[in-house]
Amino acid sequence: MGMRNKLRLLKIFIVAFLLLFPLLGLSQVPERVPKPDFQTDYSRPDLLTPAPRATVLEYIDIGIIVVALSLATYLAHKQRSRRNIFLLMVFALAYFGFYRKGCVCPIGAIQNVSYALFNPAYAIPIFVIVFFVLPLVFALFYGRTFCAAVCPLGAIQDAVVIKPTNVPGWLANVLGVFPYIYLGLAVLFAATGAGFIICQYDPFIGFFRFGADFNMVIFGMSMLMLGTVVARPYCRFLCPYGVLLNWMSRLSKRHVKITPDECNNCRLCEESCPFGAIVKPDEAALPANREADVKRVAYIFVLIPVVIFGSGWIGSRLDIPLSRLHSTVSLADEILLENSGKRTEMTDETKAFRASGKPTEELFADAGAIQHKFKVGGWILGGFIGLILCLKLTSLFMRRKQLEYDVDKGTCLSCGRCFAYCPYEQVRLGIITPEEAEEMGSREVRIKQFRA
Amino acid sequence: MTKLWYNIAKRIAIVAAVLAGILSVLMIVNYIQTKSVDPLNSQAISQLMTRLKESPNDTALKEQIRALDLLARKAYFTHQWQIRTGSYLLFAFVLVLLLALKYMSSLQPRLPDLSKSPEPDETWESKFLSRKYIFFGGLGLFFLAFVLGILSQTELKNIGIIKTEESQGTAVFPSIEEIRDNWPGFRGPEGIGVAYHTDVPTEWSGPTGQNILWKTPIPHPGYNSPIVWGKRIFLSGADRRIQIVYCIDADSGKILWQTELNDILGSPERRPQVTEDTGYAAPTMTTDGQRVFALFATGDIACLDFEGNRIWAKNLGMPDNHYGHASSLVTYRDLLLLQFDQNAGGRLLALRTRTGDLVYDQPRDVEISWASPILVITGSRTELILNSNPFVISHDPQTGQELWQVRCMQGEIAPSPAYADGMVYVVNDYARLAAITLGETPNVAWEYIDDLSEVASPLATKDLVIMAASYGAVTCFESKTGERLWIQDFDEGFYSSPILVGDSVFLMDMFGVTYVFKAEKEFQLLSKNELGERAMAIPAFMHNRIYIRGEKNLFCIGD
Amino acid sequence: MTDKTSKKPENRRDFIRKILHAVAGLTAGGLAGILFSKSSSEEMVWQLDPNICIQCEKCSVNCILPHSAVRCVHSFSMCGYCDLCSGYLQPGTKVRDTGAESQLCPSGALKRTYVEDPYFEYTIDEELCVGCGKCVKGCNSFGNGSLYLQVRHDRCLNCNQCSIARRCPSQAWNRVPASRPYILKGDERKRFLKS
Repeated sequence: MGMRNKLRLLKIFIVAFLLLFPLLGLSQVPERVPKPDFQTDYSRPDLLTPAPRATVLEYIDIGIIVVALSLATYLAHKQRSRRNIFLLMVFALAYFGFYRKGCVCPIGAIQNVSYALFNPAYAIPIFVIVFFVLPLVFALFYGRTFCAAVCPLGAIQDAVVIKPTNVPGWLANVLGVFPYIYLGLAVLFAATGAGFIICQYDPFIGFFRFGADFNMVIFGMSMLMLGTVVARPYCRFLCPYGVLLNWMSRLSKRHVKITPDECNNCRLCEESCPFGAIVKPDEAALPANREADVKRVAYIFVLIPVVIFGSGWIGSRLDIPLSRLHSTVSLADEILLENSGKRTEMTDETKAFRASGKPTEELFADAGAIQHKFKVGGWILGGFIGLILCLKLTSLFMRRKQLEYDVDKGTCLSCGRCFAYCPYEQVRLGIITPEEAEEMGSREVRIKQFRA
Repeated sequence: MTKLWYNIAKRIAIVAAVLAGILSVLMIVNYIQTKSVDPLNSQAISQLMTRLKESPNDTALKEQIRALDLLARKAYFTHQWQIRTGSYLLFAFVLVLLLALKYMSSLQPRLPDLSKSPEPDETWESKFLSRKYIFFGGLGLFFLAFVLGILSQTELKNIGIIKTEESQGTAVFPSIEEIRDNWPGFRGPEGIGVAYHTDVPTEWSGPTGQNILWKTPIPHPGYNSPIVWGKRIFLSGADRRIQIVYCIDADSGKILWQTELNDILGSPERRPQVTEDTGYAAPTMTTDGQRVFALFATGDIACLDFEGNRIWAKNLGMPDNHYGHASSLVTYRDLLLLQFDQNAGGRLLALRTRTGDLVYDQPRDVEISWASPILVITGSRTELILNSNPFVISHDPQTGQELWQVRCMQGEIAPSPAYADGMVYVVNDYARLAAITLGETPNVAWEYIDDLSEVASPLATKDLVIMAASYGAVTCFESKTGERLWIQDFDEGFYSSPILVGDSVFLMDMFGVTYVFKAEKEFQLLSKNELGERAMAIPAFMHNRIYIRGEKNLFCIGD
Repeated sequence: MTDKTSKKPENRRDFIRKILHAVAGLTAGGLAGILFSKSSSEEMVWQLDPNICIQCEKCSVNCILPHSAVRCVHSFSMCGYCDLCSGYLQPGTKVRDTGAESQLCPSGALKRTYVEDPYFEYTIDEELCVGCGKCVKGCNSFGNGSLYLQVRHDRCLNCNQCSIARRCPSQAWNRVPASRPYILKGDERKRFLKS
């Protein structure tokens, strides 16, 4: 123990005894202890810096998703094989779900896109853009083939469909409003930088990652258990990306149809869709009080601008409560409370902020700017929800004449479960003759059990 | 055949479900257990560690801690293993369960009941129901959102407008009466050495204890004077290693709290050069009734609340000062003002009391100074008057702008200005004692060049000006004409400034002896009181009490 | 049973669909174009800035992984190799041994080996480190600050929304390009400095 060591010890010892542990570690720590002067041939070990996942693998993922989407489209449209779609879905679950841990997914990409559009500092990676746009483009041309065979969240829900029940029509309509609200809120929060709520409240990603917040695990388990009796609850009643896919799919020309030929109304496919995406033939007889309904629709149309303005205004008033979910605004809130004496104890956040030396005026200016963003965003969100509700109400006054069994282009996921129920499909596969198929349309025949 | 497979699948499903269920319950229980006791932040171990600090050589205690620590670490890593393995097992069971169930359901196709006639999926009834629920649901949603929006408006106004509110002065600060009822800064309420509590004892003795109510040792030294607000006395102390603020209870003399200020961001690594008679904590603290502010020779400035909690602290840059920074702090409404005159030039700084944010940094064309500003209402406006070389400058405290300046000073300025009845009095050794009349164009009315004070600030009343030199001479002048009325020589010199208490003057010399004499045209000594130790700071005068800080102790004088 | 009259609404509907189809396609294309102009070819990963970190211990708790991806790293170039290491030893310990009561690290991840007089080498066993930052706090208080927390990218899953970043009180977390995934201290900083 040389003198050198003793002096160093003494200095540090005294300091250690006199000073208490500071509340916060200093940010710019001065060099208190001089660099050692080694006499032996000791060499310092290297600091390991393991690299993150190689970027080239992300591009391989793009390749895989292109192949998967193309394959899904082919399997749904040309091959029409439920079994193969199922196998592709299992692959997607294994690869995009458990291997890639469900991240980045096209659903979450909505947030990245919103964030990128309104925050010049964020450079959105190219493959995130591709993940976002590609399924939408496929849906625009070929329907929602992404949902059935490629989406890992859909796949995990599809995997637990055991005894699906029919959700009553009115309930499905009401619950169908939630994805719009979720989409609006997700875009608002992502664009203002408050957070990615789709990722935060994703029930299934905990399973892919084998790790999640306890509440999310419970939520996910509940969703899956619900999913055994209500098929794909998240897809139908929550998925924000589903809203976009719905719009795209409705506009598609080449959507899958139940029958490879012409429908003969044999009714065999009626109960085959667990997702309620089959539209049944409908005479669409006019209701008793037709005039009253026409008047109501007229009212709605006239009032649409008023409703949009009103709901937009309400949305703008939500700027303060919603902006509090942004970390900068909540910090400014806490600083204000402390400065005005309403709160006497500091939180970790305020202690850290005060130690950083950043002027509070700057913080308040930032928070004010974010609140302003929420105000504008609130107008847009409110107006959007108002418009959607008006349109939904209007559409519920109308009933289209339907002559045959067809898919609802917006909600059909192109899973192919219904194909095998159709007698003409059986003809195409060579199981029965065309004449037998004709018969099934014209009289009631009991069908032997057959594999789907 | 398929019936056989169906039954097998059913059995497998049941077994898998039961196993999965049991495992889920186990994992939930595991989670709840570890939630309540975090093995790596164990309360038990922390308690034992505090006991160990008291008796560091207790080997049995050490063994106990080691055993507990080993258990804790094992528990943590076992828990990690349990989560991992449990998850994988659960996944496997659920997978088997799902496979079995899927197989079972695939054997049961969903066929329609062809005996019933087909129903369209959306009848007018169901559409009506949907419309009803969506309409009322939408109304409910908007109502909730509206209520949420309205409720929140009242709690927190738009943050953007807070700034204008603050600058409009809606912040809370004490009234002039409250300020005069306390002793919130260097040389009293306005900094001019006038005490508003006149019912104080005129006789006491430190050595005998006469009229000494209590005496509390202050561990760390500092030349700053005590400040008092209500029943709390505040002082700061500093040496090479530590900067500390003390709060002492005015009635009992107990140290209520002491807060160290050693980890301020930007604080210089090495302490500045200071001379022995300046020290590291020369600037006197100040308070606005809610917070106290302390400044040290390192340029560290801190704001604490009355309980000792640090509200904000920053470093203003180490002052370029060869004796050590000494100018004291002043508060004006919601601003904390500082005369920051250094070798590199002069500055007047104003910080927001609540946040420490810089409000203005007014450059001053002056040399280095150790004086403190005075804040006085001169006629219709409030002026912040600073004594410096070569100008005496008056600033608007709200904006920092110069109001007037008079060139009359020289040298290394330590005494602060005095003010009474429209006249400002400044002095410096090797320069002059100058009396400045305020008005349209302030100018020097009279001056005097002998027996000048070097450290102690002069005292002015409507009729008299009193100056105390550091070699022991005290001179008294007629305030308007400058006619010297009397001069007295004392044994020891004065660093502490004379304080006007009613119609008497209290003046303490460097050895702690306080002389009380009449503020009259003729010198009349009323009493001479010993403290028992050396003292440089200015006493604080409160209702029935005088607080004197000696080199080692804080004394409370009272009957 | 289709006749010309029912084909008319079909044609009209189809026409509207075609228009909207084109609009949707253009919107998607336009959006993609705007985004490409703001894009980067690199993946972004999460990292914490050790100069802002206040060692609040939330990194060890908030990661969605049961064993946090944040671990302590050691900048050997900055280390003073002190006998009385304030990151290793509890403050006020009289005896410098490896007893649990003397150590700061709750999981025993920080190991101390003798090099030469009076220097000791301190290494971190990453498998044991939980990322709590107690050693970092100690090292910053009385030492050179050579111990600090970093996200380890062989463990981090790079979630789109990092649960730790969300809760960091001092806003020390940011997305960084994958080619410069670490914010290091000391001489090691040069490894990832912008060229």
